[in-house]
Amino acid sequence: MIRKRDTRIPRRPLLWLAAALLFVLPPLFDGLAFWVPTLLLSAIATKFWMEPRGYRLRFLPLKLALVVAAVVAIFISYGAIKGIEPGVSLIIVLMSLKIFEAHTAREFHFMVMLGWVLCLCGFFLAQDLAIAVCIMIAFTLLTTALVQFYRGLAAGRIWPPLRGALVLLGQGMPLIVLLFLLFPRVTAGFRLLLTPNLTSASGFSDRLSPGSVESLAGSTAVAFRAEFPDDNLPPRAALYWRGLVMTHGDGMEWRFRETPSSTSQELRGGTTIRQWVTIEPHGALWMFALDRPVTASPGAILMPGNYLSSGQPIMKQRRYEVRSSLEMARQDLQPSERESLLEVPASISPRARELAQSWRATDPDPHAIVGRALDFFQTQRFRYSLSPGEYKRNDLEEFLFRRRIGFCEHYAASFATLMRLAGVPARVVVGYLGGEFNEMGHFYLVRQSDTHAWCEVWLPDTGWTRVDPTSVVAPERVNFGFESFLERNASAGEMSPGFTRTFARQPFFAKIRVTWQTLNYAWDSRVLGFDAEAQEALTNEIGLPDLKPVSLLFLSAIIAAGFVLVLAIWMQFRARAQPDPIRSLYARFCAKAARLGAPRDPAEGPVHFAQRAAEFLPEESGRIAMISNSYVALRYGREIDVSTLRQLAHEVHLFGSGRRANPRSHRGR
Amino acid sequence: MNLAGLPRLRPTAALGGLVFVLFAMWYAASSQNNAAAYLLFFTLSSLFVVSIPHSLLNVASLKATTESVKPTFAGDEVSLPVEVTNQSGKPRYGIRVQVPDSGGNEQAVDEIAAGRAARVLIRFPARARGEYDVKRLCLASAFPLGVLRATKRINCHQRFLVYPKPEGNPRLPRDGARSAHNRPRTELGEGDDFAGVRAYKPGQSQRQIDWKAVARGHPLMTKQYTTEATGALYLDFATAPGSDPEARLAQLALWIIEAERARRSYGLRLPGTEIAPSLGQAHFHGCLRALALFK
Repeated sequence: MIRKRDTRIPRRPLLWLAAALLFVLPPLFDGLAFWVPTLLLSAIATKFWMEPRGYRLRFLPLKLALVVAAVVAIFISYGAIKGIEPGVSLIIVLMSLKIFEAHTAREFHFMVMLGWVLCLCGFFLAQDLAIAVCIMIAFTLLTTALVQFYRGLAAGRIWPPLRGALVLLGQGMPLIVLLFLLFPRVTAGFRLLLTPNLTSASGFSDRLSPGSVESLAGSTAVAFRAEFPDDNLPPRAALYWRGLVMTHGDGMEWRFRETPSSTSQELRGGTTIRQWVTIEPHGALWMFALDRPVTASPGAILMPGNYLSSGQPIMKQRRYEVRSSLEMARQDLQPSERESLLEVPASISPRARELAQSWRATDPDPHAIVGRALDFFQTQRFRYSLSPGEYKRNDLEEFLFRRRIGFCEHYAASFATLMRLAGVPARVVVGYLGGEFNEMGHFYLVRQSDTHAWCEVWLPDTGWTRVDPTSVVAPERVNFGFESFLERNASAGEMSPGFTRTFARQPFFAKIRVTWQTLNYAWDSRVLGFDAEAQEALTNEIGLPDLKPVSLLFLSAIIAAGFVLVLAIWMQFRARAQPDPIRSLYARFCAKAARLGAPRDPAEGPVHFAQRAAEFLPEESGRIAMISNSYVALRYGREIDVSTLRQLAHEVHLFGSGRRANPRSHRGR
Repeated sequence: MNLAGLPRLRPTAALGGLVFVLFAMWYAASSQNNAAAYLLFFTLSSLFVVSIPHSLLNVASLKATTESVKPTFAGDEVSLPVEVTNQSGKPRYGIRVQVPDSGGNEQAVDEIAAGRAARVLIRFPARARGEYDVKRLCLASAFPLGVLRATKRINCHQRFLVYPKPEGNPRLPRDGARSAHNRPRTELGEGDDFAGVRAYKPGQSQRQIDWKAVARGHPLMTKQYTTEATGALYLDFATAPGSDPEARLAQLALWIIEAERARRSYGLRLPGTEIAPSLGQAHFHGCLRALALFK
């Protein structure tokens, strides 16, 4: 019965805490060395075995030894102790050790705090909607653990503490939104250099070698999302998203090389298509836009070769506006440029050179050469495949004349090389093709599996012109997108689509998927994309121009204070005791009787009072008896009879009204 | 709203932890420019802000009343019954009741439903003899987050007595003072002459139970003995052994207990007070009360 303050942690709050930590785990498993979250998981499991037995980690040298061992293990896993992953790992390992050790109420609170820090760590590692949902669930459960702990343990059910936590969060929701919009987003001058390790992050590199795009084909990771605010959706066949231009060819391998600044840009006229692109971090400089971008967005430059390049590596999600033109525009090519665009390594396959020169000999018109080359790919039984086998850097001959099976990068690289050999300036463009259109959110979702490589040749009349050799080999890849291409091949028996993929094609699941993507996009663009600039735009729009961070902070504080006040008043109002109708009716009767000259003594029972009042007010005696009887029946009876209550209300209403005619006669006694 | 009755909010040590976590969140969010971390920061801040009225109102509409306390001997525990009433229309959680400065423990009430009351017993040590007055009760709650502790002080007037601690020689004084009548009387109780048996009443000494009769299948009976008493026993402060008044009072308290147990009529003489010889609960407590209040 006597509960001391710092005793063992009760089981139920501990259960809530454990549930919360389980929800913190997914982002941790995603971004950290496997053993770190596993340690946390096993610590939680062991705790439930230890706690009822009273076991805990007590021996101080052992604790210190474990901490040292953990630091060493982290160093071995990551090769460093600084940085985001080792730092988060360290917090998790310390948390695990704390779980082994903790057993008092104060330590329980400490563990909840650490849980909140783990939520923060989760957001360091990943910020997509799925992770955010996990972390918000974890946050709610942590709050529930605290509420359960401080509300006491008598209520042993699950719902009441959870409800308590949800009420707190729900009431806080308006404040959260206001703070999110108005709290000053100053970038602290002291920058933590916690850049997540992006080597595992997806995306192509600045080198197009055989197999480099192929490795991305299986990745469903999102590359970027594009919205067309003016609602002028380009035709499906024009959905070439320009990424990077590679001008340095080496047979089957093409590389990106800083183009000399003398290279002129093409500025195309005509109508442009405006896009809002939300790009996922890939750790490199390039940014994507519909082929070809004509304006640079803030923080980016439009590079010669008409591709966008960011000022600094894209380490976090970014949203930008860009305009693209689908039309062709003529432009001159400097002789020096032309020369560099015809460069091929001397060691190139003589057979390929022979082939290219034979085309040129037949007809030197670049158009004809392009046509012949495409013919070559179309008629010589080239095949398009996800698994074409391995090619080496200078396997051009092997590809063109023997195996004749390849993926888009093989076609683009070989085609561009052949063009150069034939004397037509050519380059390779890497980017994405197609994407999934989300009907609900009206945006294109482009995944890493949509990565594509194609060619551009310089034609005297149209300038740089897109030629996609893949389109002649596998037209359905270009026209229907990669997913449907896979499906067709699957039906032809080339590869199995897998049960889950067919399952996901069901209309119901497709709808769920679309909804989820829309939510994801809303989360990314509205929540994650809301930064200092967006905030400034918002404050300007609502008529609070040029607010300094200090005044925004002040405003936030005022809002929070006002919010607390309103909430407190509202809660006080809600919590006021519900008046008992029986008691208030009787009080009204007593007040009326007092006015008529028969006040009730506080210590007087109702029956006694009724007798006395009836003697004093003989003409009302019948009514007094009735009121008194029904009051006693209602107040002390077993159950409340509604008709008796109604009768009581009626009689109390009528009581004394007969006397109203000459009220003065009894006043003032 | 009654402002004077508003509870006070005090931060607990956990608030320091919360502030630290909030600062960490803000620092991380602003240095990384991470909107998700900002969102977490705002959520936790709002949670804290919202918890303020919750923790205030959790104790605001509580009323506490004390009930009468049984007198105790010094050195024992005082048990103070407290009734905590929830006058609001919402349930209240995690209430702790304590008597400030009593050195007693606090009692937890996990939940009081709307309009209901809960009863707790607060125990604290009875230090020295005398009359005490519980002037204040303290209701506290760290609900819901444990970072703020709302306390509400409630005035009350609950008097209780602490009797002197019974100590000294348990043997009653022989024939301390003769009564005015000087008539020999027989007194039931501890003595040497067997005077028959009577039905056992719960509370009587088990030493006097006629166990042999019980073994034979008879009901519980107590054997009665008599002593030749030369008159009513007067327990006198002046003649009680002991160096200081407190020791004498302790001896007197012990004698009162022993005399009551022996069912031997006793009176009490204190400087300035005299209580005529008698027996029974009322007399017993009257005498001890006189000892407790003796100055």
